[in-house]
Amino acid sequence: GLILLFYLVFYGFLAALFTFTMWVMLQTLSSDIPKYRDRISSPGLMISPKPDTALEFYFNRSDSQSYAEYVTTLQNFLESYNDSKQSQNIDCTRGKIFDQSEAAVKKACRFNLSDLGQCSGKEDPNFGYSKGTPCVLVKMNRIIGLKPEGEPHIQCTPKEEGMVTINYFPPNGAMDLMYFPYYGKSLHAHYLQPLVAVQLAIAPNATKEEIAIECKIHGSPNLKNQDDRDKFLGRIAFKVMMSE
Amino acid sequence: LLQKRSDVYSVEIYGTKDLHKTEIEYEEEKHKDQKGNKKQKKAEDLKKELDLDDHRLSTSELEMKYGTSIDKGLSSARAAEILARDGPNALTPPKATPEIVKFLKQMIGGFSILLWIGAGFSWISFGIQLAQGVDSAFDNLYLGVVLALVVILTGIFAYYQEAKSTNIMASFSKMIPQQALVLRDAEKKELPADQLVVGDIVEIKGGDRIPADIRLIFTQGCKVDNSSLTGESEPQSRSCDFTHENPLETRNIAFYSTTCVEGTATGIVINTGDRTIIGRIASLASGVGNEKTPIAIEIEHFVYLVAGVAISIGVLFFIISVSMRYKILDSIIFLIGIIVANVPEGLLATVTVSLSLTAKRMAKKNCLVKNLEAVETLGSTSIICSDKTGTLTQNRMTVAHLWFDNQIYSADTSEDQTTQPFDQSSPSWTALSKIVTLCNRAEFRPGQENLPIMKRVVVGDASETALLKFSEVILGDVMSIRAQNRKVAEIPFNSTNKFQLSIHETDDPQDKRFLLVMKGAPERILERCSTIMINGKEEPLDSEKAEAFQTAYMELGGMGERVLGFCHLYLPENEFPETFQFDTDSMNFPTSNLCFVGLLSMIDPPRSTVPDAVSKCRSAGIKVIMVTGDHPITAKAIAKSVGIISATSETVEDIAKRLNIPVEQVNRREATAAVVNGMELKDMSSEQLDAILREHAEIVFARTSPQQKLIIVEGCQRQGAVVAVTGDGVNDSPALKKADIGIAMGIAGSDAAKNAADMVLLDDNFASIVTGVEEGRLIFDNLKKTIAYTLTKNIAELCPFLIYIIASIPMPIGTITILFIDLGTDIVTPKLSIYLQYVSCIQHIAQCSLNSVFPHSCPFVSAGIMQSVGAFVTYFTVYAEQGFLPTTLLGVRVNWENNAINDFEDSYGQQWVK
Repeated sequence: GLILLFYLVFYGFLAALFTFTMWVMLQTLSSDIPKYRDRISSPGLMISPKPDTALEFYFNRSDSQSYAEYVTTLQNFLESYNDSKQSQNIDCTRGKIFDQSEAAVKKACRFNLSDLGQCSGKEDPNFGYSKGTPCVLVKMNRIIGLKPEGEPHIQCTPKEEGMVTINYFPPNGAMDLMYFPYYGKSLHAHYLQPLVAVQLAIAPNATKEEIAIECKIHGSPNLKNQDDRDKFLGRIAFKVMMSE
Repeated sequence: LLQKRSDVYSVEIYGTKDLHKTEIEYEEEKHKDQKGNKKQKKAEDLKKELDLDDHRLSTSELEMKYGTSIDKGLSSARAAEILARDGPNALTPPKATPEIVKFLKQMIGGFSILLWIGAGFSWISFGIQLAQGVDSAFDNLYLGVVLALVVILTGIFAYYQEAKSTNIMASFSKMIPQQALVLRDAEKKELPADQLVVGDIVEIKGGDRIPADIRLIFTQGCKVDNSSLTGESEPQSRSCDFTHENPLETRNIAFYSTTCVEGTATGIVINTGDRTIIGRIASLASGVGNEKTPIAIEIEHFVYLVAGVAISIGVLFFIISVSMRYKILDSIIFLIGIIVANVPEGLLATVTVSLSLTAKRMAKKNCLVKNLEAVETLGSTSIICSDKTGTLTQNRMTVAHLWFDNQIYSADTSEDQTTQPFDQSSPSWTALSKIVTLCNRAEFRPGQENLPIMKRVVVGDASETALLKFSEVILGDVMSIRAQNRKVAEIPFNSTNKFQLSIHETDDPQDKRFLLVMKGAPERILERCSTIMINGKEEPLDSEKAEAFQTAYMELGGMGERVLGFCHLYLPENEFPETFQFDTDSMNFPTSNLCFVGLLSMIDPPRSTVPDAVSKCRSAGIKVIMVTGDHPITAKAIAKSVGIISATSETVEDIAKRLNIPVEQVNRREATAAVVNGMELKDMSSEQLDAILREHAEIVFARTSPQQKLIIVEGCQRQGAVVAVTGDGVNDSPALKKADIGIAMGIAGSDAAKNAADMVLLDDNFASIVTGVEEGRLIFDNLKKTIAYTLTKNIAELCPFLIYIIASIPMPIGTITILFIDLGTDIVTPKLSIYLQYVSCIQHIAQCSLNSVFPHSCPFVSAGIMQSVGAFVTYFTVYAEQGFLPTTLLGVRVNWENNAINDFEDSYGQQWVK
């Protein structure tokens, strides 16, 4: 009985201690910005839509079911980029870092869907999947306070030449500096990260073949794109296979 | 016989080893014959005495029995026949386990098998994942490799330690003689000794090893060294006569593996190979087998416990994770993780490391540990059966008391005496010291002037040595005193006279008288005296003075001391002029009406460190039992002086004497002490022995044979005690093997005893055992701490894993990390803890009891959970400071581990690559 009581008190105390120390620890944290940001100095690249299994796209251009998932994902993803959602966002000066560190309320820069051209979903609700020119959106991971230098742009290269022609929206796959830096979820609520749409015009002779494509960020000395251990740091590789 | 018994105080003179048990044993055996209970069970037989009757048979009876002829020997054909029947004359070596088997045993023993299973699972899942093309498949390969490496490394380490322990039979096989001179087909042939068969006639000469057990039929000045068999250091003379019922005591049998020191002999082989006495002892020693040490049992138990817990928790969580819709492969990885977290991989290494560190420390304190686990066993020892001679005592006769002028004086018996404190002013002492100095044939070996007197080597028997050293300490240069008092005649000691006599010129040039000095058995000396010296004056020896002598004699004898009487006579100058020719054969000088001067008593005194060590044992709850071949009175006296029998306790006999009632009427429970005679022990049933061991706290076994030691050890073990036994002779080896910890004497011990023992005392000192016990207790405590630490740590390793599965948080600690933490900490912690000095728990045996190593798991669990709580605070802090608040972490495991998700969002909106 006494032992049970002891353990009850003991574990009760332990639980309280745990809660208390956790609470104290949380008090030391700012809600705006993490205490340490040394683990992510350089961003990774990611694509949308993201296939479930791995980064591999398999679809049949004549079978709308086979790519319906990709289309839906893209539509959902671009939902937040609709003009109606961007009413609060402002137009920023292109080609310049948009430093708002002094401002109490951080504004988000507008990202025009029309910049994505044929991949905006406005012209082609199927994002080119039915035409054999599927769109893949490449985005760069958000990192608080990151200020890219130079003129960052996405450049994709297929592993084998001649199977695919790549178009970029915006042209050159440029990522405008005005979208940087990012100030974090709570301060920068309406922030939209810049997107680069990559349209893959698959050559007729390359259907039913697996096309490996690697996209990298170029043009910015402080964005790494060649890390031996981290395959996603500033780059991303995916495969596309289209059948008819 | 009765007469010999009355000599009991003075018989046991020559040599400190007791070789004189024969008479009473003889009597005892006759007694047994009358009762007709000589027949014993065969299994018991070997332990008690040996059944051999060849020593009783006559030569012709022997010829008949073995179908041989003394003149011609066996025919070659017959010999070959017998050889085919009995096998070669060699000791069967023990079945040696092949080294590779030993090694593999280490590889799969204990926790290793669990880890192998884990490694196997890792490789299987590696194979499956590789086939599925999963990127992280190689993690499992590495995990498997690390697990296998851990097992192999600890296995090699354990094997290395094991390989160090030596084989007990090695020394027995070394004793086998190579060649023997055999009479066959009426020809003398040189044969390999292993070709000998029963009935062969062999010849041996000085320097040979006896090739088999031999009944001697012809001897010439033959002496054998039985020390390897019985531990007796003096060469034993051998003849053809049947001198004793006991085959071990009789003179006409020479034993296999002993050495013929001098002379020649011819004999009939009566036993060969394993049937020889030494063969039986060897087989007994290997048959007794090594008892598992308490720590080994405890660790085994612990291994089973932990393995059981590991497997059941593993399986439980395997089921849980499968029902939580984890993939089977993932679940198997969890299973491995749980097992790895649970199993203290380094524990066995830990134990080994702490044991060997302590063993090193003990070696510095003169305890050489052969078997690592013995270190710990020594710590849990509850009974020590110790030899007397050499272990508790100094193994040398020393003058302990003097009686002159009607008064008993005590002498200093310590190891390094330089002076004697008693009152030396009396003229009686001057006379006595002169007799002691002159009537003595012992001499120092030359060239030892710089050594302390007590350390010098002396040529002479034990008591003369004692007297020589005694007088050298008091008087200074004895040899020059002897030179000044030239010896003119001498009668050396012999057992019929029981005295020693010499006649000297005096050192006073004016005094032309001769001085006759005599020493010997006190009652014999007194018979020859008519006067007694009191304060330098000769007074008539009346009945009152004789009474005083008797009282003193009984008192000294009662102390277990060997008493010698001294007397002298100045021969009248007119009867014995300077030119007188003394003739020791016709004794043309007076040997009666002498002047009695005094008594000196000698004992092999206890080592000075022993009483302290014994009292330490006592306070640590260790019972010290003395086992000796000595006479009970001597044994009891030594026991009392070292505290094995405490000052206040009484034996049954003491109580009977005090209350003046017969021994039978004494309530045995009142007597705390007991002195058990080996002869009584022989007739005792094991129940009776148990009763004695139970009822008496202080026990001395006197007049015991080494075989009986085994019985005593077994008796103690029946009481549930952890028994340490000391021994030196070959025939101690069964007892040493049987004991939980056998302790051999480094100086006096035979090789076989050292081999059978777990520990060797380099200085033969009982106090070193106690030091060993202290070290053992210390390691016990250290191990307890280490194991507690290990268990706690395992809980702390297991908790994150369980929470990882249940709460789906990112993996807090990986399997390989756990392995490295385990190996690193398990080996380092004991090294740290072993060097901690703290209050030795030798004071409190209760706290050190063996069962307290793994008492309740609750404290470990609680401590482990405390650690886990702390670790989790750290874990959450690290993640939170990097941007993942605790709320974000719960349930993220699947996305977290998904290789395709490279924009994992933290609580601040940042996106992370994998």
